Amino acid sequence: MTYRLSTSMTVALALAAVAWLGVAGPTPLDAQSTPRTADGQPDLSGTWNGGRGGGGGRDYTPDEAGNISSLSAFRPCHPGQECREAVNSERDSGLEQRVAGEHYNVPLYKPEYWDRVQNLDVNGNRLDLSGHCYPRGVPRMGAPDKIMQDETSVVFLYQRMNRFRVIPTDGRPHDPVRAQDVQWDGEPSGHWEGDTLVIESVGFTNESWLGWPGYFHTFDMRVVETVRREGNTLIWQATVHDPDVLTEPWVMEPVRKQLNTDPLARLVEDPPCDEQDMEHMATRERG
Amino acid sequence: MRLKAFAATLAVVGAGVVCAMLALPATVTAHHAIQAEFDTNRTEEITGVLTRFAMINPHVRWYFEETIPDAAPGAPPVLWEFTASGPGAMRDAGLARIFEPGETYHVTFAPANSGANVGRLRTLTFPNGRTVTLFHQDPTQVDVKVD
Repeated sequence: MTYRLSTSMTVALALAAVAWLGVAGPTPLDAQSTPRTADGQPDLSGTWNGGRGGGGGRDYTPDEAGNISSLSAFRPCHPGQECREAVNSERDSGLEQRVAGEHYNVPLYKPEYWDRVQNLDVNGNRLDLSGHCYPRGVPRMGAPDKIMQDETSVVFLYQRMNRFRVIPTDGRPHDPVRAQDVQWDGEPSGHWEGDTLVIESVGFTNESWLGWPGYFHTFDMRVVETVRREGNTLIWQATVHDPDVLTEPWVMEPVRKQLNTDPLARLVEDPPCDEQDMEHMATRERG
Repeated sequence: MRLKAFAATLAVVGAGVVCAMLALPATVTAHHAIQAEFDTNRTEEITGVLTRFAMINPHVRWYFEETIPDAAPGAPPVLWEFTASGPGAMRDAGLARIFEPGETYHVTFAPANSGANVGRLRTLTFPNGRTVTLFHQDPTQVDVKVD
């Protein structure tokens, strides 16, 4: 009896908790709250996150005397430890990117390409062109910062390097010439599957990487992006198909971005890129 | 018992997350490590005339001509370049124009391992004494208790 009562109470409490969550918890993803265009498609347009240029969260606020002090935080030292300056900041960043979060999900290469990936990784300072002012390209550039939309296309705008992509959404076939081109963002063709915009891109350069630890790809890479809006949340995800080198398609972690509702939000010009440090590299370390 | 174990697990995970948040920079953009280019355990200094400040990616850059009081007449100028973080936040903070070419500044920096006249800026002091510090925190001064 005690057991039954306990079970009943547990069930009742669980139901109450569910009901409470439904009322007082986070707003459920409600497709009805998603704005739609005149032709009934989800309205993806808007500025997604930030929109003021960003800058890594640094604070350059002057004090009363006009002095500015902006110091990057990094790992503190254990009491008694011989503590050297600036030893662990960017290295911690690199470690985090290898073992945590989105970078724990890695593309799986065929064994015959493991040495190549390792070599690219070790020599990434020199060989990763994104460190030499080249674009990151699709899919490494991630989700757009702003989207503009009409009946037959969407335009993705990216703050980083002032890049843009014009993506047809009418399901048209790939341009046969562009599909054999060597583009950093590829030749895109989009269509709607329900409320999800599906973008398939081909025609890539083989000089871009999927990620900084040496994740190369071939000319024949095919990237399928999905973009959907749930309320004021944009959910972007990409899957990389490159069967010549990967054992299976690489499904990247989804990226969620919130609509920037600031009416003054806008993208601003990203300054030119002029890499001048590489010639002075004494080691291969990256951060 | 299970609750205690769960709580203990939460505590450990929570502590780990906090440590990770404290240890890692907010921006995790892979680039070369600062130590690959500069000897961050050393500090050198020069005084010189700023010839250009470049708001460029991936790192802003100052170009200097060092002031050498006893330089021989006609001696070639000694040129220096200093770098720091990316331009985004400085620009957003309205600091894109505060460095005046033609002015004389005192600069402290971590020197390049290559021996070239290149450095990672630590401080830049204006003619009026105003100082801009752009570097990494002294790890012994971080306000975090490590048991």
